[in-house]
Amino acid sequence: MLQATNLTKSYGDIEALKGLDMTVEGGDIYCLLGANGAGKTTTISLFLNFIEPDGGTASVCGLDVTREPLETKKLLAYIPEQVMLYGNLTALENLRYFAQLGGHDYSQEEYREFLHRVGLQSEAMDRRVKTYSKGMRQKVGVAIALAKQARALLLDEPTAGLDPKASNEFSELLLKLKADGAAILMATHDLFRAKETGTRIGIMREGRLVDELSTDEVSHADVEKIYLQHMHAGGHYAQEGAGSA
Amino acid sequence: MIASIARKEFSEIVRDGRFKWTAGIMALLLLTALAAGYQKYSAHMDIQRLSQDQTNAQWLNQGDKNPHSGAHYGNYAFKPAGPLAFFDNGINNYAGTALFMEAHKQNFAVGRPATDQSSIGRFGDLSGAMILQLLMPLLIIFLGFTAFSGERESGTLRQVMSMGVSNRQLLWGKALGIGVAVLLVVGICALAGGVALSLADLSADNESLGARVALLSASYLLYGAVFLFLTLAVSAWAKTARTALMVLVGFWAFAGFLAPKAAVEISKAVHPTPAFGKWMADMRSHQMRGFDGVPPFVRFEQEAADIFAQYGASSVAELPVYVGALRLQKFEEYDFPVFEEHYGRLRDSYMNQRRLQDRVGIAAPTLPLRSLSMALSGTDLIRHINFADAAEAYRRDMVLKVNNYLATAASSFNTPGSGTFVADEAVFAMVPPFEFKSQGLGATLSEHAGNFIALLLWLCLSLALALWAVRRLSVEED
Repeated sequence: MLQATNLTKSYGDIEALKGLDMTVEGGDIYCLLGANGAGKTTTISLFLNFIEPDGGTASVCGLDVTREPLETKKLLAYIPEQVMLYGNLTALENLRYFAQLGGHDYSQEEYREFLHRVGLQSEAMDRRVKTYSKGMRQKVGVAIALAKQARALLLDEPTAGLDPKASNEFSELLLKLKADGAAILMATHDLFRAKETGTRIGIMREGRLVDELSTDEVSHADVEKIYLQHMHAGGHYAQEGAGSA
Repeated sequence: MIASIARKEFSEIVRDGRFKWTAGIMALLLLTALAAGYQKYSAHMDIQRLSQDQTNAQWLNQGDKNPHSGAHYGNYAFKPAGPLAFFDNGINNYAGTALFMEAHKQNFAVGRPATDQSSIGRFGDLSGAMILQLLMPLLIIFLGFTAFSGERESGTLRQVMSMGVSNRQLLWGKALGIGVAVLLVVGICALAGGVALSLADLSADNESLGARVALLSASYLLYGAVFLFLTLAVSAWAKTARTALMVLVGFWAFAGFLAPKAAVEISKAVHPTPAFGKWMADMRSHQMRGFDGVPPFVRFEQEAADIFAQYGASSVAELPVYVGALRLQKFEEYDFPVFEEHYGRLRDSYMNQRRLQDRVGIAAPTLPLRSLSMALSGTDLIRHINFADAAEAYRRDMVLKVNNYLATAASSFNTPGSGTFVADEAVFAMVPPFEFKSQGLGATLSEHAGNFIALLLWLCLSLALALWAVRRLSVEED
């Protein structure tokens, strides 16, 4: 579903991504872990064709995102860390606008149903979203993703800053989408939720995927231990990288 | 798709406080300007009609006298304001409204409203045209500068661009949404203009009114579209909304203030207007020495034999017509080419200035629009020249009629000492009242084809810029 092949990207002298290979299949929740600047957001931006890769390909359902930018985006749904909405429009109007941009149109009842499914109170749906909390905005973001009927989801730290209840509800929604066969790629710092919700975990460091785990084969403690090992090994890898350059 | 983008854009705009204030102020100014223009127009037309009637009555009731003296007594031509002068007063403030028509002299139109105004009048009239030319672009800029740059800053552009919508559709949708919001404001005022139009008594002054209104609307729509696409282009190109606003307001000031002033200065430097005193003295001395260098008195002596032959006469005594009237008419005609040359020179300098201004006008969309607006409103230089020409034709006909009448009626006055012929004032009725019929719209259009093309070129340029800017549209601020 989502596939990166030898994907590289530099910003000036800084190599953000150094030959990334990864695959996320339908029904997978692939959690990308890594420090800030490890290349997680760059990976997501490349799948969205917001930036051009310097080498390699990113593809969605077998379509190269640089050759078929509009087609591949129609298959994707994107939920950023901060879902940004139009403050002067209501949640329903925001949802309808984004759904129409994605090429879908539903009845007013169906839009309400989407917002209901993500747990937004009915009385909030007709309010302008400038009054919304972050959690409510993230819910609208998920509703937009649901309405888009996307085959693959790209989530960039979507639960950062959410309270535990909201974060938990978000995970529930992801599990439903997974059950429907969506391929989900989620950048996150939340090791606990990665183990709990994810099916696979990828650990990124300095633009490389340094480890991949299946969550059913490791415990919470293992995830944290392996993650920290990779982070501490940073100096060693960096020396190795400098030696080979 | 484009419709949903447009609808969202429109809803956002009209719910924003920015819109309520700018649209409110704009509508208020436009309505005030139209009301003031209408009031001014009505006053002008009332005075014009009244004065024309009065001068006609004076002409008819000037008493029993020699008919040629009647031609010296003369008549006035009063210029109608122009079919849409209440919208665009054009050069009416500077061009003169009354032209004295008398024997032997071609005169200037006098009575320039600008001479009665304080220095504040230099900033120009508050007119519907001025508001649309200067403030409509500003309204478009204020409503549109955040169209892309604002969404990029707030982060919504990232999400929008993740939906699989094409950049072009986004451009068309936004253009439509903002355009409808602007039309909402301007449309209300256009409606008010229409009401004013139907209230005004345009019977004396309404050549092809429908076509004029339609072409004016088209020109202003074109002009608005130019600023709309420029605004969207800059909004998509600029990294931040602040930059977009600064660039756009800078261009607005250039197009609305700097370019028109520069165009006038350049045209005056290239085609200088003759100095009035010298021009007048040149013309008078040219009259004295005769068009071809033969003074009128000498020329008449030279031509006398031929003139007598026309009547089969060999001497003044045998002439069946009054020789004094023949001489008066001949002298009149000897001056025609002199007037034509000198007035022609003056007009050529004005026309060349105007044409050069139009050519410079390619530098900013406000210039061709300004020209078109005046021309279509019937308040431009060409119409003024039409008026002066009509007055001159009327003057020549008036003088010819009285001289011809004098020639036949006073045929027995050829012997010296016959005294002065006096006619009943009823003879002055043979000269019909002055009525101005301008050249019509066709001539205006062919003269201003270049300005339409300039506006169209600007539209193409702004569209090309907008398409280029959205093609390289980036969701990132850096």
